[in-house]
Amino acid sequence: MNPTRPFHPYLMLLPTALLLAVFFFYPLFVAAKTSLTRWDLLTPASYVGLSHYAELVHSGELFELFGRTLVFSVIVVLGAGGAGLALAVALDRPGRFPAFCRSAVFSAYVVSWVSVALLWLWVLDAQAGVLNRTLAAAGLHPPDWLGDPRWALFALAGVTIWKITGYATVLFLAGLQDVPPSVLEAAALDGASPMARFRRITWPLLGPTTAFVTITSLILSFQVFDVVRVMTQGGPVRSTTLMVYAIYEEVFMNLRVGRASALVVAFFTALMLLTSLELWIFSKRRAL
Amino acid sequence: MIRDGGLRIPAAARARTDVRAPWSRRRLLTAAAACSGALACGRERRDGRATASLWFTYGGRNREVLLELVAKFNASKPRYFIDAVYQGDYFEGLAKLRTALYARVAPTLSHVIGEVVPYLAEAGVLEALDGLPGAETLDVVPELGQARSWIGGDERPLVALPFNRSTPIAYLNGDIFARAGLAAPQSWSELRETARALTQRNAGRVTRYGFSCPISWWFWVAMVGQAGGAVIEPDGEVSLGGEAGVEALEFWQTLVSRDGSMRPPPGRDYNAWEQTNQDFLAGRAAMIWTSTAFLKYLEDNARFPVVAAALPRERRFAVPTGGTHWVMPRGASAPERAAAWEFLRFVHATEQVIHWSTSTGYMPVTRQAVQRLEASGYYRTHPNDRVAYDQLEVAMPWPWSTELFRVQREIVQPRLESAVLSRENARALLHEARLLARSSG
Repeated sequence: MNPTRPFHPYLMLLPTALLLAVFFFYPLFVAAKTSLTRWDLLTPASYVGLSHYAELVHSGELFELFGRTLVFSVIVVLGAGGAGLALAVALDRPGRFPAFCRSAVFSAYVVSWVSVALLWLWVLDAQAGVLNRTLAAAGLHPPDWLGDPRWALFALAGVTIWKITGYATVLFLAGLQDVPPSVLEAAALDGASPMARFRRITWPLLGPTTAFVTITSLILSFQVFDVVRVMTQGGPVRSTTLMVYAIYEEVFMNLRVGRASALVVAFFTALMLLTSLELWIFSKRRAL
Repeated sequence: MIRDGGLRIPAAARARTDVRAPWSRRRLLTAAAACSGALACGRERRDGRATASLWFTYGGRNREVLLELVAKFNASKPRYFIDAVYQGDYFEGLAKLRTALYARVAPTLSHVIGEVVPYLAEAGVLEALDGLPGAETLDVVPELGQARSWIGGDERPLVALPFNRSTPIAYLNGDIFARAGLAAPQSWSELRETARALTQRNAGRVTRYGFSCPISWWFWVAMVGQAGGAVIEPDGEVSLGGEAGVEALEFWQTLVSRDGSMRPPPGRDYNAWEQTNQDFLAGRAAMIWTSTAFLKYLEDNARFPVVAAALPRERRFAVPTGGTHWVMPRGASAPERAAAWEFLRFVHATEQVIHWSTSTGYMPVTRQAVQRLEASGYYRTHPNDRVAYDQLEVAMPWPWSTELFRVQREIVQPRLESAVLSRENARALLHEARLLARSSG
């Protein structure tokens, strides 16, 4: 379809482009500029060049933060994606009970992050929490999920998986609707087992859905803030200080706007690279 | 004050911002802050009363008592009005205050922790208070006011007045201590023995800790003092207590890791403090260290007698002071400043000081209030209320250091957690912290 006037497509794009320019590119430009200064909001900023980046790399803090966030994201993406797919396959059938289960699973996703964090704070308390009391009653010695640096990150990842699995489930359910029943029936008539049908037909056809779920879960898990803020405040011993929380802490708690801006730029770059890599992998897979 | 469609922007701030680029970062921030301020404050006085905005950072009971004082002031002063707005905990409130100071929409009055007052004062964003009418008659307890809260505080222009001042104190579960026949520990060794004796286990799992204390800079500073050191020397050198700092940190490690008699509560900052309170109230900790700020809250909510006690000694008794000081950020109009100053005088009147102190647990900040409480026999019937005040005899003033806040939050606090929770070497961590503080100071 050809536009009536050559500039029409650009005119249509203008509102989005303006929004992106004002709320995305301009703040990013400001962050990049501020990252070259030492500034605490109150006293005049001084130009320090790339020293924030050098310091973040040299101290190992950037890699530590990025590594921790990546570990968290991988657990969340795999956990939420895997659980979402399993639940979607299990619940992709008619009937009242599956419908109830679908609603129940998705309900966690619509609850606010703060409410979820408060709920799990109660569940995971080392002494009074429901989980540890149950495990202790069963004769086990459960850890202090939120107070032990070895466990806290996994505990937060578990809470995040619980929260967003409903989202992945709904998307996979939609993806399953697009799998032609005739193909599955034909395969069944040819003697393909349910597992073979899933591996050879359903799973490949869910490719675009999987790509979407993975990318959105990845971005969501990289941006997680509320559960950290409410449940651990980045502790114990910074074991749950993820990228966004670190930025918040630097700018609002430690009075270091320049350093926080350097983290913003590094975070943006890392997220861009990861998303590009993921899209490339999925495009290669689709081409095969 | 100029009113712009409901947005209250100080005239001086308008004059300053008008000459800047139309889309400067400050202007954007100003607009955003003004919008949020308008949403938060919301009300515009139509009765001509001079209005001062007050940003406060208390929740729970302390918030209720403060709002009572504000309501009383507003009801009794026909020319003035205080618009009090809650801003989260101390650190959240401070973050908002700094942002507002940058955007030049700071409140007329706020209260901030002592560690940050030198930084704000040296940044030139606080009004001097000593020239204001009646400032010399406030009769502040010197250890709680600027004069002795900071080393050399009396030689500087007055920028801070005490409000909710505290010291760390010990809270004991009276029932548990009575059953065990134990008294409040007077030394670190007694603390260790008491904590061990009161820790209960069931099938290897701790069901009650003998002791709990947030792994927080404030309590560590107290222990450094008790071990005979100082975190920052009077000449400004960041020593972190030297050997005393290591001893203090290793003592915590002993209680947590070797004895298993102390619970380091999960969470950081005030979340950990709240968790400590909850553990105490639920009987999961027999003894805790926390601020005197929670005295009334704990007394009211405990199902057992709460006994307050002074912190123990190692080589000497010592505590830092805590809580917050009133400050007036620069940039407010004259009527706003007048309203804020009238409110400060009001809350420093004996009646209000006593009401605030006896309703919360914070120390009375004027000498007249202390004298009246003593004369009325209040301390005889409420001995817990007296503990923090008596500790002022061994209170350590803070250095007037602009780096104090950064040393606390960025350098020391994470290393305290590393030492206690990850069992890292206390000496090496503090050595590293000292080098960091000196190199980037």
